[in-house]
Amino acid sequence: MNLFAAAATIAQKDLRLFFRDRTGMLLGLLLPIALVTVFGMVMKFAFGGGSGMPKVVVYVVDEDGSDASAKFVAGLRAVDMLSVQPRAGEPAIAAAAARQLVHDGEAHHAILVGKGYGDALADGKEPPLTVVRDPGRAMEARLVGIGLMQATMAAAEGRSMPWLMGSVMRRQGMSEAGVARVRTSMQMVQDVIDRFVAGDGELKAADAAKPATAGFDMASLFEDMVPVVHEDVQPPARPKNLNHQLAQSVAGMAVMMLMFGLMACSVTLLQERDQGTLRRLLVSGAPRQALLLGKFVFCLLVGLLQLAIMFAYGELVFGIGVFRDPITLVVLAVTWAAAATAFGMLVAVWADTPKQAEGVSTLLILVMAALGGCWFPIQIADLPWWADVVTHATLTHWAMAGFQGMFWHQKACTDPVLLRAIAVQWGFVLVATWLAWRIWRRRFTGG
Amino acid sequence: MGVRGLATVRAMAPATLLEVEDLTYSYGDRHAVRGANLQCHRGEILGLLGPNGAGKTTLLSCVAGLLGGFRGTMQFAGAPFRPAHDAAARLQLGLVPQELALYDDLSARENLAFFARMQGVPAERRPAAVRRGLELAGLVDRADDRVRTFSGGMKRRLNLAIGDLHGPELLLLDEPTVGVDPQSRNHLFESLQALRAAGRTLVYTSHYMEEVQRLCDRVAVMHDGRVVAVGTTAELAARAGTPEANLEQVFLTLTGRSLRDDA
Repeated sequence: MNLFAAAATIAQKDLRLFFRDRTGMLLGLLLPIALVTVFGMVMKFAFGGGSGMPKVVVYVVDEDGSDASAKFVAGLRAVDMLSVQPRAGEPAIAAAAARQLVHDGEAHHAILVGKGYGDALADGKEPPLTVVRDPGRAMEARLVGIGLMQATMAAAEGRSMPWLMGSVMRRQGMSEAGVARVRTSMQMVQDVIDRFVAGDGELKAADAAKPATAGFDMASLFEDMVPVVHEDVQPPARPKNLNHQLAQSVAGMAVMMLMFGLMACSVTLLQERDQGTLRRLLVSGAPRQALLLGKFVFCLLVGLLQLAIMFAYGELVFGIGVFRDPITLVVLAVTWAAAATAFGMLVAVWADTPKQAEGVSTLLILVMAALGGCWFPIQIADLPWWADVVTHATLTHWAMAGFQGMFWHQKACTDPVLLRAIAVQWGFVLVATWLAWRIWRRRFTGG
Repeated sequence: MGVRGLATVRAMAPATLLEVEDLTYSYGDRHAVRGANLQCHRGEILGLLGPNGAGKTTLLSCVAGLLGGFRGTMQFAGAPFRPAHDAAARLQLGLVPQELALYDDLSARENLAFFARMQGVPAERRPAAVRRGLELAGLVDRADDRVRTFSGGMKRRLNLAIGDLHGPELLLLDEPTVGVDPQSRNHLFESLQALRAAGRTLVYTSHYMEEVQRLCDRVAVMHDGRVVAVGTTAELAARAGTPEANLEQVFLTLTGRSLRDDA
């Protein structure tokens, strides 16, 4: 019996066993889908729908009840990054209750709008605002700070610059005389802006396309203060509803769960040894390489099936545009399935027992998944140089580079970035398979 | 080649099918087999007896090609024999391991068909080989049931049938009756006797003395990695100086009465 016929026979037998254990098979295929669903939903909805921005939960207590404070709260609600509670129309809560929610971790922050807010704003004084926060949540604090700025600008209808700037400078240690001069200067600027907003023809540019007041958004003034030309590099074929976190989630779960799935398949090698069928196969006339090759083919086919189901599900539920470029998808899927199979085989031939193989592989897979960016984009982390090297040394990093290159950046398999990711993975396949073969010969076949 | 032709060829072949000379194998510093010598005659059932740790399984594994790197020589039908490195040589062997080496989620027929293919049975002869295997195992009525639904005895019978699927000249049986009921054991004995009648040569290891006494033409006793005695039960008894003794008494005389806990 030749090598390939024997390997095909073994792969066929293993596939038959795989499909026959329906419960095990369904669990193996459904678990990744469940994780893709959970992570995908979390990424899609918890991070501000399609905006890709995180949402900070903020409880707001309006103790003033003035028009200005109502405008301020409405301004907060309009900020994409904030999820203001209680929602409009829901009963208000007291300041003590809001403090308790932050204390209990139910809310990230609470903003207490004190009595006299409206009057203070009208008088150009600092309004009574208290932010209740957990100081450890630095990222959320920054987002709340941006939201406060936008809402304050909206509440004061743009006339808050003088006291805002004066207040900032006072906190920086400026004397009251200096603060007064700053406020006077800012008031002059504010007056010019007010005239422009009011439609003063003298201040309108001759070639302006729209009336000065139309669509004038004071709240977002500071966002656009630095003059830049925005150059969008979004690939035209990227689905409109796809955000980066969602693409990351689908690719990450597919990469990680395939490793777990194929590890379970690779461990059948050890099970064959324990149940005695391996001895029987080794005594048969089939070439001994065929046993390892057959297992490799079996794992590869199961891996491709798992990826196909996961990507089809991702397309169906999240519309990630995975089938836009079938050739690239097939190349990446075959490459990753082969790399994950080689990893599984290497662990399986190294381990003495299935339990050892499962323990070691679980540890390695979880570490590689975290470092390789399967859980979150590792690029956003500020890593020391050595950690960056470790990250690039993980197999998952290159798999993610491939899939994210296709899903998010819409690259084809001929793109240098993808070619490099594919080449690294095939390099691993060759080295790991060679090592597995050496260990297999020494430990399983009597040399 | 027909059965008569095969019988003629076998009749013309040398009487010694397998010859092991001065075979030594070590697991690291531990010598499992020390210069063992053994001859297995064509068409006989040779019992291989020994206490735990005597080296029976290691010797059998060397013969089966599961262990390479041993010292000594092996000849099969007069020719050098290196099954660990020669797939064609392995085709002349069949192994019935002590474990139930079966796939529980495949049916009896599927197990037989798979191993027939792996053991190089040509496609056109495979259905007949599978049918013969089912008959040998007494599982024709349960051919399409999954193995996991079988009793221990049924699995043992199937285990034996798979070892003989490709009609090997030499069948190596490693304690093939462990844990079976008297009916299945009897069926296995009848099957083994039928195989011998068909011209097969069998090497049979067991801890059950009465089985060996009933089945085997000759018995080789291993002790401390060496074959210390070979012959019929009567010859061994005479050699041990206890002509009236049964095999168990001879065995204890040759190997001692101390407990053996080695693997």
